[in-house]
Amino acid sequence: MKKKSIFGAIGLSIAASVLVASCGSSNSGGGPAGAPKKGGTVHILTLGEQIAHLDPQRNYTGTDMAFAVSTMHRTLTSYKYAGGDEGSEITADLATDTGTVTNEGKTWAFTLAGGGTFEDGSPITCADVAYGVSRTFATDIITDGPSYAMSYIDVADYPGPYKATADQQAAFDKAVNCVDQTVTFNLKVPVADFNYTTTLTAFSPVPKALDTGENYDMKPVSSGPYKIESYEIGKSLVLVRNDKWDQASDPLRHAYADSIVYEFGLDASVIDERMIKDAGDDQFAVSEGIQPENLQTIFEDDAFKNRRVDYLDPFVTYTNVNVKSVPCLDVRKAVYLALDRDALRKAGGGPYTGDYADGFIKPALAADYAKSKMLEGLNEDGTPNVEAAKAAMEAAKTSCPEVAQHAADGLVYPYPDTPVWAKAIAIWIESQAKAGITIKGEAVEASKYWPTVMAPDAVYDLARGGWAPDWLNASTVIPELFATSGGFNLTHNDADPDYAEFQTAVDAAKVNLDRAAQGKQWQELNQFVVDRLWALPGTFVKAQSIWGSKVGNAYQWGPYGSFNFGELSINS
Amino acid sequence: MRNHDSEPVLSVQNLQVSFTTDDGVVRAVDGVSFDVYAGETVCIVGESGSGKSVMAGSILRLNNSSTATTTGKILLGGVDVLSADESVVRGLRGSEVAMIFQDPMSALNPYYTVGDQIAEAYLVHHPEVSKKDARQVVLQMMIKVGIPSPEKRIDEYPHQFSGGMRQRIVIAIALINSPRLLIADEPTTALDVTVQAQILDLMMDLQKEFGMTILLITHDLGVVAEVAQDVIVMYAGRIVEQSDVEAIFHAPTHPYAWGLLGSVSSYGASKRGDLFTISGSPPSLISLPEGCAFHPRCVHSLGSGSRCQSEKPVLRPVGNNGSRSACHLADEVLVSIGTGTGAR
Amino acid sequence: MLLFIIRRLFFAIVLLIAVSVFTYFLFALLPTDPAALSCGIHCKPETIAANRIRLGYDKSIFEQYWLFLKGIFVGRDYGIGTAAFTCPAPSLGYSFNQHACVTSLIGETFPVTAYLSIGAFILWMMIGIGVGAIAALNKGKWQDRLATAFASVGVSLPTFYFGLLALFSIVIWFQILPFPSYESPLDNFPAFITAMILPWLVLAIISAASYTRLTRNGMLEAMNEDFVRLGVAKGLRLRVILRRYVMRQALIPIVTIAGLDFAGLLGGAIITESVFSLPGMGRMSIRAVVDSDLPVLVGTTMIAAVFIVLANVIVDIAYGFLDPRVRVS
Repeated sequence: MKKKSIFGAIGLSIAASVLVASCGSSNSGGGPAGAPKKGGTVHILTLGEQIAHLDPQRNYTGTDMAFAVSTMHRTLTSYKYAGGDEGSEITADLATDTGTVTNEGKTWAFTLAGGGTFEDGSPITCADVAYGVSRTFATDIITDGPSYAMSYIDVADYPGPYKATADQQAAFDKAVNCVDQTVTFNLKVPVADFNYTTTLTAFSPVPKALDTGENYDMKPVSSGPYKIESYEIGKSLVLVRNDKWDQASDPLRHAYADSIVYEFGLDASVIDERMIKDAGDDQFAVSEGIQPENLQTIFEDDAFKNRRVDYLDPFVTYTNVNVKSVPCLDVRKAVYLALDRDALRKAGGGPYTGDYADGFIKPALAADYAKSKMLEGLNEDGTPNVEAAKAAMEAAKTSCPEVAQHAADGLVYPYPDTPVWAKAIAIWIESQAKAGITIKGEAVEASKYWPTVMAPDAVYDLARGGWAPDWLNASTVIPELFATSGGFNLTHNDADPDYAEFQTAVDAAKVNLDRAAQGKQWQELNQFVVDRLWALPGTFVKAQSIWGSKVGNAYQWGPYGSFNFGELSINS
Repeated sequence: MRNHDSEPVLSVQNLQVSFTTDDGVVRAVDGVSFDVYAGETVCIVGESGSGKSVMAGSILRLNNSSTATTTGKILLGGVDVLSADESVVRGLRGSEVAMIFQDPMSALNPYYTVGDQIAEAYLVHHPEVSKKDARQVVLQMMIKVGIPSPEKRIDEYPHQFSGGMRQRIVIAIALINSPRLLIADEPTTALDVTVQAQILDLMMDLQKEFGMTILLITHDLGVVAEVAQDVIVMYAGRIVEQSDVEAIFHAPTHPYAWGLLGSVSSYGASKRGDLFTISGSPPSLISLPEGCAFHPRCVHSLGSGSRCQSEKPVLRPVGNNGSRSACHLADEVLVSIGTGTGAR
Repeated sequence: MLLFIIRRLFFAIVLLIAVSVFTYFLFALLPTDPAALSCGIHCKPETIAANRIRLGYDKSIFEQYWLFLKGIFVGRDYGIGTAAFTCPAPSLGYSFNQHACVTSLIGETFPVTAYLSIGAFILWMMIGIGVGAIAALNKGKWQDRLATAFASVGVSLPTFYFGLLALFSIVIWFQILPFPSYESPLDNFPAFITAMILPWLVLAIISAASYTRLTRNGMLEAMNEDFVRLGVAKGLRLRVILRRYVMRQALIPIVTIAGLDFAGLLGGAIITESVFSLPGMGRMSIRAVVDSDLPVLVGTTMIAAVFIVLANVIVDIAYGFLDPRVRVS
């Protein structure tokens, strides 16, 4: 999923996962044990001015998806409503089960369980699901959302429902067709984990009659237990109970609180101070992200032990190496060994910003993660191994002298023109110099960074990378980052002779319907990349959250790295 | 010559005014005593910084009370201004005693019409009068002080008037309540020469009409010669000579007065054929010379070790025409001037 | 006088056009690409191109500006096919970030800024002039020294930290007031006052400082004026002299500066609005800068310009009214 933080710091992030032992805490709920009570108002304090997108087809941000899914946008399938490992399993939501796959992974069918209603009381039908998905195609209005539907669904030249001709609409209706309450998706390619894809709110139903296009973002129609009472950007979003929602029709949601209030536009230090003080309504508040200067206060004082969490969010940072311009493993080794990861992490805020990554698949993807065998000589504490780096450079002078010379002359590293990155690049330059490698930093205006480095003719040797899986399957990691067809492959690794072997293995893994076997394949492919250093693992990003003393059920929901907002309860 | 049976209109007794500044204590007025009798015109002359304006200001207690220390007595119709309640003094201001300031350009409030300002002066002492009636009084007064087409000009603002006309307005403000005493602090200095005479004539005419006493502060000895009956010469905060106008011009008893008169070409020099000037500049009021404050500039000074340098001369009667002088050598000076053997 | 006002209004319109043109063209020169900004890491060139068309940046800058001008008079259509909609005249455009017509966004945020500004303005004028007058009347005494200290501290207080300190101490630590959550005074007046009192005070104290100094110095200067001496010599009461002579003079420069300061605030009290999370126009314009939200940026800039121009005209008229010497005939 997309993270706003991707534009910013090395590892500033606002998400969560408590799946991992290294987190130290397996606290999956605030407050005393026992069944959560109904009633009360939950407050969410944020420095954001608005929810990036409440329109289900445009919502693509971890926290916002966790919020929307759990409160107002039901999906065909969902992750289980639980902290820990259980929260990473998929289960049925609107559908009766997690889908039926046929046609070797190219046809997926889901049958609606029935009983679900929108906030106006009308029943949620198969047509509403199909209409919702069709909106994704209207990229001139429905922006910023995930494009999986467009990549997978077997329909050509469909412009979305707003300006589709009858023929175009008929073609879409054939690709996504409804028979009674069963929606069938006909895909262009086999997708083994399409039922994970359908956890995205992009697959949430939208009633066609109430669609307002561009403006749907401000007042989407709820299919969940809460609906919007008021939404003022820069001020607040108030959710109240959707009295048309029937608990019996919903296998997942409990909707403990009577209302949920999002308070926007707060100063970060004000939020922390309010959360620390824990007075009045702030006892019923939750907040994601803690200012670095307050981490010590909150994490070293036992007074906060029942209302804080330090966790790995779904985000991984790494550095892409342009394999085409640096076609020499010895040089790539030298760069990785010389890199002062310790200084980079300190510059970003220290251990709270993340753990050193051992690959690109995070432990949160429980089925797909295995500890990788890292490069020999790489210091576990993140400090550079200058001797080993120099040795690797020496080896490179024999094995690939031209590349070694290129590295000595200067590796081009474009970076977003922000203060944080300027600092990071300085560390890069300084640490690589010690191994005889020159880094040529090139500042790029921040908003143009990705378009610049992703342009086909972009010239660079190194480029930053950051990724979070769109759903809990490394199919949204390994192929995306390292297959030529992937959406975010900046490594030009097809220049590597081993690439063909990699591609074959990826293709096999993608269509493997045996989830456990598939996980094994991803683990091996992760190791494959780590061994070849097409990209240099950075950190598994961590994040911190705090909640008020009277908030219950404040568990971290692994797939989104966030609270399960809809399940928060109030302890009287 | 000076023979008054009545009580003085104004009696200043041992007036001392000092200001505390960052540099030290400024003794602006240092033991001044004199009387002014009804109907008289008394002129106070002296260089800038001689204390004459401060002295005039203290008569209506206009000096800044937070920085000025004033001692002595100022009796106005039997009331000691310096010890009276503020409300008593306020009752005197503008009604018993009026004042005219040096610069008519800045003396009027720029934000109100001249009519308002004259009426304000009237109404504050005649609260029972309606604004409408006050307007008539103001118009009459404007005619008296010689403002042409007053009906129109009464609603104009000060900046629409010339300097001479403004001073007429100031005079109108001063005289609207028919005060017994008018203190005029250099009323013509800031005006054109031609206008000066007009204003002076106006004041004299109105003095006759209202029967006022005038205390005129000036350094223009031409004015003194024209209007004064009695002349007080101040130097460094003290009176150095007080004489009637005849005596001061024909037989000054203080070398400073002599020098001052000598410096007036229009009168003194032409009569005597010689132009005298006083060399040097007035002393700092923070550290006055020992003895006679004038001695460093005095051609008659007896020199080092003499009385002139050690003993402050007191104001004492000299000669037989009622003059008073504060010079140790007053008699000798008198003689030297009388015999025509002037200084130098 | 009428001619003067007409002339000034004509000038104001020319200035507003200039401001809008300037904002448009300056924006075009910015390195930030609004079409790429919301696009993130999944940004393919075709996505950016589609986004550019959606936002209207595919058109030439001249055409964009023409559509903007036209929108003011006849409204403007957005969206496509069955999802089309209109921002009615006077339309200042549509914010794709905030999903609303700019005119209605300003309609929502401007009252907040206006309430903040008006309340703070009244308070700061009262505090500034009051404290300044006390200082002037007690020159050199402890009251004066205290007021002078207040003025120099107040002037150098950074609004952001002072605001945070006020918020932390009064709201979070001692809980004298609840956390400010803006409510319209028409809906909930007590809540409005509770939310506004702290921002009003913070803004007032910071702004009052320079007015304290202005008032004090202006009064002291006025007190030395000859005409004030004449006023005393007339036998006027101190109260009358202060009002009609001293204050009248001391207030003239204050009115000028106050008018412009007030107009500046109406354009958005950015820092105060941010610290106290008030959903005002200042915070919205800052967000527009960050988001490269041109329509909002142009709209708020123009509103701010309107107020500054308007304030200049009012100050000029007031100046003539207050000081007959510059009164226009």
